Formats: sequence, structure tokens, C-alpha cells
Amino acid sequence: MSQFIYQQKQAWASLKKNPGFVTTVLATMGTTLGALLCILTLAYVLIAKPLPYPDQDNLHLVEHHIGDSAGETNASAFTYPGLIYLYKNQTAYEDSALIYYDQDVLTSADSQPTLNTLYVTPKWFSMLDARMHLGRKFEPTEALDTNNPVAILTYDTWVKEFASDSDILNKKVTFKGVSFNVVGILNQSFIEPALAATGLKSQVILPWDYNGQSERGRGSWGNINSSQMFIGKITSGSSLEQISQTLTPLVNDKWREEVAGVEFFNGWNIEMKAVPFKNKILGDSTNTVYLLLAGVIGLVLIACANISNLFMSRTAEQQRQLAIHAAVGATKGKLFKTIFSETGLLMFLSVVIALVIATLGFFVMQQFLALRLPRVDELMINWVTLVSAVSISLLLALFFAGLSSRMINYRALNSTLQSSGKGTGIQVSKNIRKFLIISQVAVVTCLVFVNISLFKDSVKTINQDIGFHTDNLMYVTFASSGTTLPERDMRKQIMNEVREKLEALPQIEQVVQASSPLNGFNIWATTVVATNERFTPESKRIDQNYFQMIGQNLIEGDLFTVADIKDENRVAIVNEAFAKRVSPSESAIGKQINFGGDEHTTIIGIVKPIHIPGDTDESILRTYVPTSLAENAMIMQLKPESIVSREQVVSVLTSVTSQYNIFEMELLDTQKSQLLFTQYTTAITSAVLAVITFFLAAIGLYGILSYSTQMRRFEIGTRLAIGAKRFDLIGLIIKDNLSSVILGMILSILILIALYLGFSEALADYINLSLLVLFVITVALISLISLFACYWPLRPFINRPAIHSLRGSD
Amino acid sequence: MSQATANITTKIKMTNISKIFETEELETHALRSIDLEIKAGDYVSISGPSGCGKSTLLSILGLLDMPSGGEFYIEGVNVTDLSLDEAAEIRNSKIGFIFQSFNLIDELSVFDNVALPLRYSKEKLSDEAIKKRVNECLELVAMSHRVSHKPNQLSGGQQQRIAIARALVANPAILLVDEPTGNLDSKSGDQVMDVLEKLNESGTTICMVTHDPRYADMARTQLKLLDGAILTTPELKAAV
Repeated sequence: MSQFIYQQKQAWASLKKNPGFVTTVLATMGTTLGALLCILTLAYVLIAKPLPYPDQDNLHLVEHHIGDSAGETNASAFTYPGLIYLYKNQTAYEDSALIYYDQDVLTSADSQPTLNTLYVTPKWFSMLDARMHLGRKFEPTEALDTNNPVAILTYDTWVKEFASDSDILNKKVTFKGVSFNVVGILNQSFIEPALAATGLKSQVILPWDYNGQSERGRGSWGNINSSQMFIGKITSGSSLEQISQTLTPLVNDKWREEVAGVEFFNGWNIEMKAVPFKNKILGDSTNTVYLLLAGVIGLVLIACANISNLFMSRTAEQQRQLAIHAAVGATKGKLFKTIFSETGLLMFLSVVIALVIATLGFFVMQQFLALRLPRVDELMINWVTLVSAVSISLLLALFFAGLSSRMINYRALNSTLQSSGKGTGIQVSKNIRKFLIISQVAVVTCLVFVNISLFKDSVKTINQDIGFHTDNLMYVTFASSGTTLPERDMRKQIMNEVREKLEALPQIEQVVQASSPLNGFNIWATTVVATNERFTPESKRIDQNYFQMIGQNLIEGDLFTVADIKDENRVAIVNEAFAKRVSPSESAIGKQINFGGDEHTTIIGIVKPIHIPGDTDESILRTYVPTSLAENAMIMQLKPESIVSREQVVSVLTSVTSQYNIFEMELLDTQKSQLLFTQYTTAITSAVLAVITFFLAAIGLYGILSYSTQMRRFEIGTRLAIGAKRFDLIGLIIKDNLSSVILGMILSILILIALYLGFSEALADYINLSLLVLFVITVALISLISLFACYWPLRPFINRPAIHSLRGSD
Repeated sequence: MSQATANITTKIKMTNISKIFETEELETHALRSIDLEIKAGDYVSISGPSGCGKSTLLSILGLLDMPSGGEFYIEGVNVTDLSLDEAAEIRNSKIGFIFQSFNLIDELSVFDNVALPLRYSKEKLSDEAIKKRVNECLELVAMSHRVSHKPNQLSGGQQQRIAIARALVANPAILLVDEPTGNLDSKSGDQVMDVLEKLNESGTTICMVTHDPRYADMARTQLKLLDGAILTTPELKAAV
């Protein structure tokens, strides 16, 4: 044991003399290993680690797919009565629960915040093994149709919105005019399954009966809503197909019965699909993880190549010292141990730094990537992280020690002692140096290319013309404070007055009654009257000034008039894509469409299409119809350089009515940035990665070439003495390393092709001719740093008289 | 004597050459006021105790280093203040340097080692011309039979003879030789000195640095260096 301590002390003393070397190794390995540990943990959490619910394999989400007469899935969401029917009549699942996602204004709090609400049936708690911090969970007293107004808060909500009030179980919360008794606080460690959207966290849990679906909606077999879901837990060994095949006829038969009279749904069918929780939550993020893993491994490889070179150069410098050790009796094994205690110490320290950086990485992912990566809340240093850390550091330490000790020709050590250190002696073999250069260039070219492509792609999406403008625009949505809405005429009067008073504010130019152009679309079953063709375009209600305010151009026909809104005329404006589908050969103006019911709607105008960030389809069909004066969503156009605060809008609202409050208010620019959040993150991450990779590669290539130039010092001096000019020597070094660099680039092309073939579905969107340009740019950049690495180490030799290179050769 | 002939016969002319090495703390005067003239066909040896500055003098002679002061002419051309690239050109065409540790390039064959100065020359020679010249020089040093070998396959004496061939290949004005036998056993050393003597007999100008008095004596002109200056023997008057 004392021998071990002695060796560690020696290692430390030896390393202390070379702080530059130690810093480089720790910095390089620490950061790259940190990134690796971070991504490895992420991969484990996403792919291998079971969800934090008991029997998580048996937890399913049941999907409701509506297919049209051609067999194409038209929509994937439940009808309200269909969902209730399934819940009451299914026998495939022992335990099941209903979930409804919504947002509501907490009117009982002073600040009236809008909170994420979750409406569930009681078994939700037991299926997810939700433990309580205080109070109780939902019981059969809160089952379907019990209408028992109780509420459960999540731990974070209790802390943030209620200041961890210890008396919380005696308090009430009010949403939409209903007072709920708080009966429990969820445990801090509970993690809600992200079934609706990645990163969505509910704040208040309420009984299913109080969900926001309207009376009409609760009975409509033709309306779908993607906020409502069904989860089940099986105890039998049935497969997913079996369950899906049992549930499909159950739901489909009932649905067909109920919509038999609706012509639009002729030939349409429901298909039920049971999906394990994990698949739903993960989605396609496995691809992202593999990409990240590949990227980080690439970085680690570059770092290893750099560090190998550093260790080997160090060994070459230390050859005299090692010879002395051998002279006084150190065996080959003992020399290895000596080197190993140094590499081991360095790797151990690097890993400590790496763990710190990994923790930082978890924090960053939780803060910025919660909407993009699922299960980030479960990221922490766990056994996977630690085992990986220890084994990787051990492996690397052994590898570097092995590499270094292989360099030592144990038998020829005595010659090192006797010679003055000139001539051959220990050198890093030419083949190893060549390999290091090839591998570095290959990995760097791949990584930089991929990152530049990702960056370019994100920037393209960010800058893409959306077809309308968002500056100086702000949307506000009003929600009713009570359980029931006021009478329609009353609503028209209230909203009209609110709109007029808002327009009267000095900061406001104009107010339009419509929801933000970045959302607010619903899917409406639409039939073209002339051809009986059926479509499901995205549809939106707007007023007469909407298009003009956001700058979306009219191509043909007319806009809505004030009368259209007031009289609630049956007219529509469609986008160009839909116009072409409605009437391919002639103008769509004047053509009639039907939204269900007896009355037809006439198309009076065609507008240019828009591209909302996140739109996957190039030609989405969109329809616009007149809203009523009772529309509770508005867009405010601010005068240049003006702002309007929430308080100002609240005071306008309260001066008109007490029956409404502000549900949401935001600048359109902010909303657009949020939609583009993923692109911004990708752009920044890929840019940073590209720069880091580049930097690492430059350091690495410089290190290798600097070493080999040093080794050729006397040769350089000789050539200078014979009459080589400076340019001849630069050319010599470049020529000698050119083949390695070119080989590296060819290797990178092969790797990229292999990646493309392996991930062709994921990458299909990215491949086009501009990639060739990007690759040429990457090659140019890599060539630049290679040239730099060739030239810079030569400078001290060629910019001084030849004698300086020859000194010591005698 | 016409200027043209004067240029050709005086190979080296140094006037008041000095070299000072400066570090942060001290100034070392390695050479002081060196005056030197070497004519065509001369065989000059420079010797002295270690630290006397002979290697420094030779490196300045070979344009491997720059003097701190004074003037230096090679074949009538002023080479005192040349740029690095200009110096390289002069070295290539006018100087043949032979080092103590041979300084052959291990990766190149004997042929390529000898041919190397020709590949750096200003005028591009054809492959046949290079081949012809290289074989000529190898014959001069009696090493034609090893033309495809690598330097590390040859003995020390053989390597040094290759180095001499390399120094001759560009037909230099002068051969500068730095302790040619320092790394050789006495038999090989004698062989190398033999080659140099034969070369000088056929007209090659040689300036050699050595500390071996036997070899120093083989030169016709022997200069002694001490503490950076050439020793001049005071004239002896015959005692009457």
C-alpha cells in the first residue's frame, strides 16, 4: 500500500513540473468525458431505464384513429362520447383512467395566473403509483359522474403559487366559477408521464367531471379533441395487437351507429391502437439521442487522439529519465506501473471534472431542452454514470500507459544513457503519427460537416418567410370567470365594448377580433358541394380586418365586410392550396362548400398561404370564416415603439365586465420565437459544437505536426544547409502529410455515407445539393487548419539561420 | 590580374568578422576581428581548444549563421547581409558542407541523398543530368556500389563518404568540413582524410575544422584559433 502511495506521490511530483501538459489533458478530457457521461446517462434514461411507474410495460395509451374511405388516417383524437363509451364498456384493461389536458385561470388568487389543469378519473393515481406529500388522492368519491369538487396540487405548484402554505388542506381553489376543496399535495418526486406533449407539466389535478368540454361537445360523435386521452393497465398477457383488435370493433361499431346519418362519414372507420407508455413518451427522440451520442463519441475520439500524442511526446522527452530508472533496476512491468500511475492520476482527475460538467449538462438540458427531450427530469448522476465514468477512465489510463510504454525499447535503453540524446532513440513511430492525423481529420470533417448542416437547416427554418408579419402585434384571449357563459347577445355586447375601449387606448392602433395567426386553427369536416369531395382543412374564425392587419395578401376575390361579421353570413376565404383542391381547373371564387348541416358556404376570396413554424406539410389546406361579434380572442396592433401592459388591459376589461378575465396575453413575436425554440436551440448547439470540434482538431493536428517537425529538426537543418529555401521546407512538410489528410477526408466521406444509409429515414429531409457546397466548405476549413498545423511549428526553424536547427547534432 | 580572374581565385574573403552571442545576462564574444582569405585550391585547417570558436567560424563561413559585424565575400559576391532565402541559394550553389555527424536523411536512398542539393538548385536539371552527376561524385568517393542502400545500412566511414559526395555534387566553390572524423574509428577516419586529400590534389578548395593534430597537419595552411581570434606566430629572427 505504501508502494502505491509512493508511486502516486512520484506521479504527482512529476506532473507538477509540467503544468501546461496537465492543464491541456484535464481540460480536454474533462470536458469531452463530461459531455460523454451526460449523453450516456441521457441515452440510458431514454432507452434503457424503465419509467418510474410500477409494471410500466403494462401501462398503455389507447389511440383513436379516424380513417377516411380511402383508408388514410385523417385524425387521431377521441370524440368525447366515444371516449366515455370506451371507458365504461371495455374489458381489455383491469385498470383504466381518463385524462383531459387544459389550462384555466385561478380566479381565487390575486394575480389570477393561468395554470395547467389536468382532469382525471381516480385510478390515474394508483396506476402511476402517485404518492402524496399531504392529504389524500382521488377516491371512488371522485369517480365518473360524481361531480365532487375537490382538487390536488402538485408539489411545485404548492410551493410556488401557495408559498407552501401548511394550512393548504383547508383552502379552496376556484376555476371557471367552481370552488374546489384542496384535499392533497402530490409528492415532490412524482413525475407525470408526458403523454400530450414533451415537457408539459400539469399544476392542478381536478376530477374528470369538471373538464372544459362544452355540453354540445359531450354529446357530439362528430367532433374530436386531442386534449382527451385513455390510459389502461393490463394484468393478463395479451399482446398489443390483441388488445387493439378487441377494442376496435367495440368503438367502431358504436361510432358507425351514431354517425350513420352523417353523409361526410360514409365509409369512414375508427381504428384503436394500444401503445405502451414508453413508446408514446419517447416518440422519435431515440434518433436524436443516437445522433447526440455519435457526436459526443466523435469528440472523445478526437480528444483521445490529441492526448495520445501528448502522452507519447512526453514519454519521448522522458526517455532519459526512464533509462535511469531501468539502469537502477526497474523491470519492464515496473516502468509500465510508473507511467500508469501518471495516466491513472490524470484520468481520475479528468473524470472528477467530467462528473461536474455532466451535472451541469443535466441542468442545461432540464432548463432548455425540456420541450425537446422527454424524461429530462429523471436525469441525474446514477449508477450508469458512475460505472461508465470509472470504467472509461480506467480503460483510457491503461490505454495511454500501454501506448507510452510500447514506445520504450527496453533493451536499447542503455544507449539512451550513453548518447547525448541525439539521433533516433525513442520516437513516436511514423505510422502512429500518420494514424493520428488520419483519424483526427476523418472525425473532425464528419462532425463539422454534420454540425454545419444542422446549423444551416435551423437558420433556414428560422428565417423562413411565414407569409405574414408579427411585429408590433399582441394577442389576448379572454375567458369566462363563471361556470356558464353569458347569453350570446350579451357576449357580443361585452366583446364589442372591450374592443372599442382597447382601440381607444393611446398605444393601440387597431384591434381585430380573432385568435393569433400562429394558432387557433381547428379541423373541420368540409365537403365541396359540386363534387362531393371531402376534406379536413384547418379552419379559423376571423373578422374583416384580420388579413390586412397581419399582412397576408389576398390573391383573388374579396375580403370579409363588416356586414359579413355582423350578419354572420355564410361566406369563406380559402388559401391558395385549398382553392386548387376545391376547383383545380377554374377559379374557386363562387364555389360552394359545406361544413355539415343544410346551409352551404360560398368562397369569396383566396389568400396567399402562410407557413407557421412547425408546419410539416408544404401545402396545408386552410379555410377562414367570419367570426361573430362575440369572439373572445383579439389581436392588438401596437403603435410603433409602444407597449401595453397586462394591467392596462385588465383595467379596460374590468371597466366593461366582471364576467371575464384575461386567459392569455403575449406578443406575437414572442409566440413565434417560442415556436422556433427548437430551431434556435439546434442552431446554437450545432454552432457551438462545430467551433469546439474545430478548436480541438486544430490543437490536436498542431500537436502532432509540431512533434513530428521537432523530430525532424536535424533533417530540416541539413536541408537548409544544402540550400533549401523556406518555401521548400513548408512544401516538404505539407507534401509529407498531404496523403494522411486526404485519406482522412476520404474516410470521413465513407463514414458520412454509412451514416446516411443507416439513418436514411431520419436524414432524408436533410439531403440535397446544397450539402455538397457545405462539404466543400468543411473540407476547405479542415485544409486550412492542416496547413496552419504544418506551417506554424516550422516557423522557429525556417525563420532563423540554419545553424539553430543543427545545434546539438554534433 | 583582371577582376574576373581575381574573383575566381579568391574563394573566400572575410574582413573583421565578429560574432557575439547575447543572452539576458551575458554577452559572449565568440569571434573577434577575424580576417581570412582562402584562394582556389587551398587546403586550410582551423584548429584550437574546445570553446575557441572554430565551429562558429565554420558556420559563418557556410552561411549557416550571420556574423555580428564585418564583411564577407564568396567568389567576389558580398554575402554579409543576405536574407534567409538568398543565403540558401548561395549555400546551394557555392558551398559544400560536411558535418561531423554526417547528417544524411535516413528515409532517402544514397542516390537521393547525394542528389538532394541538385533538387534545390535554381536551374532545373533533367533527370539524366542529375543521374550523371550523382554517379560521378559517388565514383570520386568510391561508393558507387552502394547507390540504392539506405544510410543506416552503411558504416560510419561509408556514410561520411556519401556526405562528401553530396557536398561535391553541385560543384561548389569550397568544401567546408566540420570535424569529419569525430565520429569515426581511426581506420575509417584515415580513409576519409585520404578522400579529402585526393580531392584537394585535383583542385578542390577545402577548409576544415579539426582538433586532431594529425589531421590538421595534412592541410597546407594551418590556422590556430584561440578565444575567438586567429593566432599569428610572431616572426622569429635568427639568432646570430
